[in-house]
Amino acid sequence: MAFLLRRVVFYLAAFIAAATINFFLPRLMPGDPIQKMFAGAGSDLSLENLNALKLTFGFIDAPIGEQYLAYLKSVFTGDLGRSVRFFPLPVTELLGRALIWTVGLVGTATIIGFTIGTLLGVMAAWRRGTRFDTVISLLSIFSSSVPAVVVSLITLFAFGYTLGWFPNGYAADPMLDPAWGWDYIASVLYHGTLPMLTMVIVLTGGFAVTMRNNMINLLGEDYIVMGRAKGLSDRGVMLWYAARNALLPTVSALAISLGAVLGGSLVTEVVFNYPGMGNTLYQAILARDYPVIQGALLIMTAAMLVANFVVDLSYVLLDPRLKRA
Amino acid sequence: MSVLTQLLRNRKALVGVTILAIVILVAIFAPLLTEYSPTQRVGRPHQPPSTDHLLGTTRLGYDVFTRLLYGARISLAVGFGAGLLITVIGTVLGIIAGYKGGVVDEVITFLTNMVLVIPNLPLLLVLAAFIGQASPLVIAVILGFTSWAWGVRVTRSETLSIRQRDFVKSAEMLGEPSWRIMAFEIFPNLISIVGINFIGSVLFAVITEATLEFLGLGDPNTVSWGIMLYNAQNASALSVGAWWDILTPCFALAVLGLGLALINFAIDEIANPRLRTGGMLARWTGLIRRGEGTL
Repeated sequence: MAFLLRRVVFYLAAFIAAATINFFLPRLMPGDPIQKMFAGAGSDLSLENLNALKLTFGFIDAPIGEQYLAYLKSVFTGDLGRSVRFFPLPVTELLGRALIWTVGLVGTATIIGFTIGTLLGVMAAWRRGTRFDTVISLLSIFSSSVPAVVVSLITLFAFGYTLGWFPNGYAADPMLDPAWGWDYIASVLYHGTLPMLTMVIVLTGGFAVTMRNNMINLLGEDYIVMGRAKGLSDRGVMLWYAARNALLPTVSALAISLGAVLGGSLVTEVVFNYPGMGNTLYQAILARDYPVIQGALLIMTAAMLVANFVVDLSYVLLDPRLKRA
Repeated sequence: MSVLTQLLRNRKALVGVTILAIVILVAIFAPLLTEYSPTQRVGRPHQPPSTDHLLGTTRLGYDVFTRLLYGARISLAVGFGAGLLITVIGTVLGIIAGYKGGVVDEVITFLTNMVLVIPNLPLLLVLAAFIGQASPLVIAVILGFTSWAWGVRVTRSETLSIRQRDFVKSAEMLGEPSWRIMAFEIFPNLISIVGINFIGSVLFAVITEATLEFLGLGDPNTVSWGIMLYNAQNASALSVGAWWDILTPCFALAVLGLGLALINFAIDEIANPRLRTGGMLARWTGLIRRGEGTL
């Protein structure tokens, strides 16, 4: 358990680092940081409200060290300020709503992409050198190198505009009442198909390549030969001897790639006008709504850290050596 | 030299290098390949492809083909510039961390892991949002200074294993200074890792630059593939049916990305012989497979 504890301490430090970037960025830029941060509100902001916002972001009459502590205090008490574009909506509320959509999209796409990619990688490695392997490898290389912008624009063009099979934007039919009814759920699934497809296309190849190469490196090991010598079935050796061990580095590759996954979803959300974190961040950037921009970085970092922790946990389950450590 | 011949004998590498060479030639000879200027209106808005305008025109009447050719310059410059910066930082820090060990290693590893868990694209968006419209040079520099972590991780772990080898030990016994050991004993043995890191970083930089520009964080006066996407999206090119406006930069990015990824995959195959699967090995495994079937 010492392993997990060390990880938690590290995640805390990483989160503080993200907050530190937020704190120093406006102060390092030329010009008046207060003016810049809250200018998006125009003249709508009363003096009282402005002072509350200044306090949240540590713009107080004190040395920089105290300002920094004041900002960290608001971050850790869950006060990320208010959106200047949708004043007085709190940033946490605005981003909290968006987070649900992103977690749904990214989570489902990662699970689908990881499952398909890993299975394809296992099969390609097992039949290495065959035409199946060549085709899967080439498709994977293509999928892992093509930018998410390109895939989402092409899917939108093909299935949204040209064929008209799927809607061109939004998470659900705006005419429907967002309640837990079948109509609403069906509409969410229907609207989510294209963004999901995009994400799966972008993700699958990377997982397939990693898994294939890990597998091939393991296939020469003695215990694989041993498994065969024992007369185990082909599939048994492939899945229980080779794939299980090759999965470990693939899972740690998954942890590293989560940031890229989040980046991919960001672009996809913008193209499909999907109401997740990425699109909210994009809209905030267009409106120069700095409290939301900064809050988005913090919440996305926190989401990454939680996801990394989940990967750590699964790592402990997959690798018995870590349980003892 | 043998690495280079091996690279050219690999079919994936050959295709990848050809694609890259074509893009580089296009970027250099852009003015010879088109009669138009990339920054002047040369036709009516949103004209479909024709013999006058091979890939049609944008909503502002620019020639799409011309902008595609000139845009290659920015994509390559940002890609290779940022890629070089990322690789240099990653390799230097990785070798130092792996070779020196101790506190130095711990500090570098801690920093690296931290950069890895802070999501890259959102961070870049926040940086770019504060900077305002970022020129390609600014984009390349911030990419370089935020994206080196993966390289450090890989280089460090490889250095750790090389450090134990005899030739490093004997150089240490001979009293060579540590910078010399790192630069002349360890670095040459990392060349395939560094190569993969470099090509991967170029690919990452090309994609990310285009993405940032597409999201409106670039300088709209730049002639680049990202700005082409941005302009096409702003002109609602898809909904008015001007597919050539938006699919052209998409195609260019996908092809360049594929070329770079193929090169990377090939370097991996050459550096790691087990991954090589063509020819002899395939026939050999095929024979074994068939033998197994009848047993």
